[in-house]
Amino acid sequence: MGDHELNPERAKKTEERSRRNFIAIITAVVFGVTAAAMGLFNLIFMRPRVTYGSPAKVRVGRPDSYSPGSQLELPENRIVVRRQGDKFAAISTVCTHLGCTVNASDIGFACPCHGSVYDVRGDVMGGPAPKSLSWFRVSLAPNGELEVDKNQVVDPDTYLEVKV
Amino acid sequence: MSDEFDRPEHDRFPSGSSGKTYGLMCTVDADAPAVEAKPEKSVQSWPAAFIRELLLFIVVVLVLSLIALYFDAPLEEPANALHPPNPAKAPWYFLGLQEMVGYDAFWGGIGIPGILAGLAMLAPYLERKKGGEGVWFHSSRILPNLIFITLFVTLGVLTVIGTLFRGQNWAFIVPW
Amino acid sequence: MSVDKVKLPADADAGKGGLIGTLKAMPKRVYHSVFRFRPLPKTHMERSQAVAANFFLHIHSAKTTERALKFRTTLGLGLISLYLFIILVVSGVFLMFYYVPSPDAAYDRMLDLRGAVFFGTFLRNLHRWSAHAMVAVVFAHMVRVFLTGAHKAPREFNWVVGTALALMTLLLSFTGYLLPWDQLAYWAIVVGTAIAGYAPVIGEDLRFILLGDYTVGGEALLRFYVLHVVVLPTVLTLGIGLHFWRIRKDGGLARPDTDEE
Repeated sequence: MGDHELNPERAKKTEERSRRNFIAIITAVVFGVTAAAMGLFNLIFMRPRVTYGSPAKVRVGRPDSYSPGSQLELPENRIVVRRQGDKFAAISTVCTHLGCTVNASDIGFACPCHGSVYDVRGDVMGGPAPKSLSWFRVSLAPNGELEVDKNQVVDPDTYLEVKV
Repeated sequence: MSDEFDRPEHDRFPSGSSGKTYGLMCTVDADAPAVEAKPEKSVQSWPAAFIRELLLFIVVVLVLSLIALYFDAPLEEPANALHPPNPAKAPWYFLGLQEMVGYDAFWGGIGIPGILAGLAMLAPYLERKKGGEGVWFHSSRILPNLIFITLFVTLGVLTVIGTLFRGQNWAFIVPW
Repeated sequence: MSVDKVKLPADADAGKGGLIGTLKAMPKRVYHSVFRFRPLPKTHMERSQAVAANFFLHIHSAKTTERALKFRTTLGLGLISLYLFIILVVSGVFLMFYYVPSPDAAYDRMLDLRGAVFFGTFLRNLHRWSAHAMVAVVFAHMVRVFLTGAHKAPREFNWVVGTALALMTLLLSFTGYLLPWDQLAYWAIVVGTAIAGYAPVIGEDLRFILLGDYTVGGEALLRFYVLHVVVLPTVLTLGIGLHFWRIRKDGGLARPDTDEE
């Protein structure tokens, strides 16, 4: 520091250098932020807002089309709809292991791919599956049909009560 | 053909205008000057290296063509999202992973593979000791080699199990 | 060197002989505009120039150590990987002419390759087996490099590049696996992407972005197609360029300081 007072010439040079450093740092920061923002935008761009293939909300028919105590497999929606008394529930048939479709039976569910077995509630009884099958929220659509929202996972044994 | 090539170097590669002050002046038929240790025996890349590379290319193309002529690539029924096959298998190089996922979902699918990939990436920074470059199974590198071979063989065995020894319901089967 | 003393056809010759002269000189002039060396270079000087002056050859140094040429040094695995990639690019481009990345059409196109396309079966076979071979050879190359200690300083970064190339090879093969849209392809991708879904926090998002949907369907097929034919091959080509360039910059193939063998 003392150098600068003694030698104004050098002080000027140092000042010049630090100004250049400052500009370089600012440029780097602006460049970095821009690059990061563009990366983020690209990622968001790659994330579709709607999906063409499988709608998350599906209507599965009027409640009275199910008989009490029954359950119906809807393979194209990969769910089973279960009716107990006047209560309705929907359970995923996507195996939590590696995404195969499980087959429903009276005693539960069985995965044909890697042998995972689930009970009626969808809890794992055996095989490599890491967690139980999802239960989805069921609601009543304005037109009187049952609607299953596959984006909303609910606790097991959550039923929707409908006056049929 | 010869006349053009017999022109001197500076004429065929005019340098004056571009201001280039260096260039390949001549080569000598002798051992390379020893920079660090001993002189190396080297030969002209043309043709020694290129002939070998071309030969290898021809061999690769020939072998693959023969395989392609005699073995048909598999093609099963059209994809059907409603009927999973039993067992459903990932491509063979992921069957080691799939096998591990069968034991523990997170550690088999993500944890261990992530650690392995990280270890692989960092291998040269972890192994700092000098020596053994360019020599097969160098005696000073027994431990790193042993670790590497163990991990690789483990993954290979898991892959083979997943590929050949897993049948319906992912149950252990004997392929013969 | 002796060449310096030979009298040359100077540039002053240009324009002599009128049209006939121009036409007569043309083949030679065209050749020289492309190559700076004669078809079969004779002297060491010319051979070195042949390497240095050719875009495709100059990734080599003018001289190669005898050690590097021995088969047992490398087993040729890196080169074989490159050659398989070249075969894959060529056969892949041919297949692209007949392929449609849509769930309705993809499988039919596979059948068409068998019946309606000359050499279609052969091309598909070649592409598929080369892809499997490339995955295997790339990993064999990795084993070779490690066991010969060729990943150590100063070649650390090239090892990292190589590891990235290996992962990219896996991704390329994986994205291509879905394209035939048969049962094997479909469920392999269902199972394979389900493994990606296990990643903590980002797993589900990663899977969703990769598939463009919650399940493997038309969007996934389109995404895998674009990744397979444009994005990954381009990145891999750049990576291969970097990998090769680094070999030279890091001093050629790894070799012991002293003659230990």
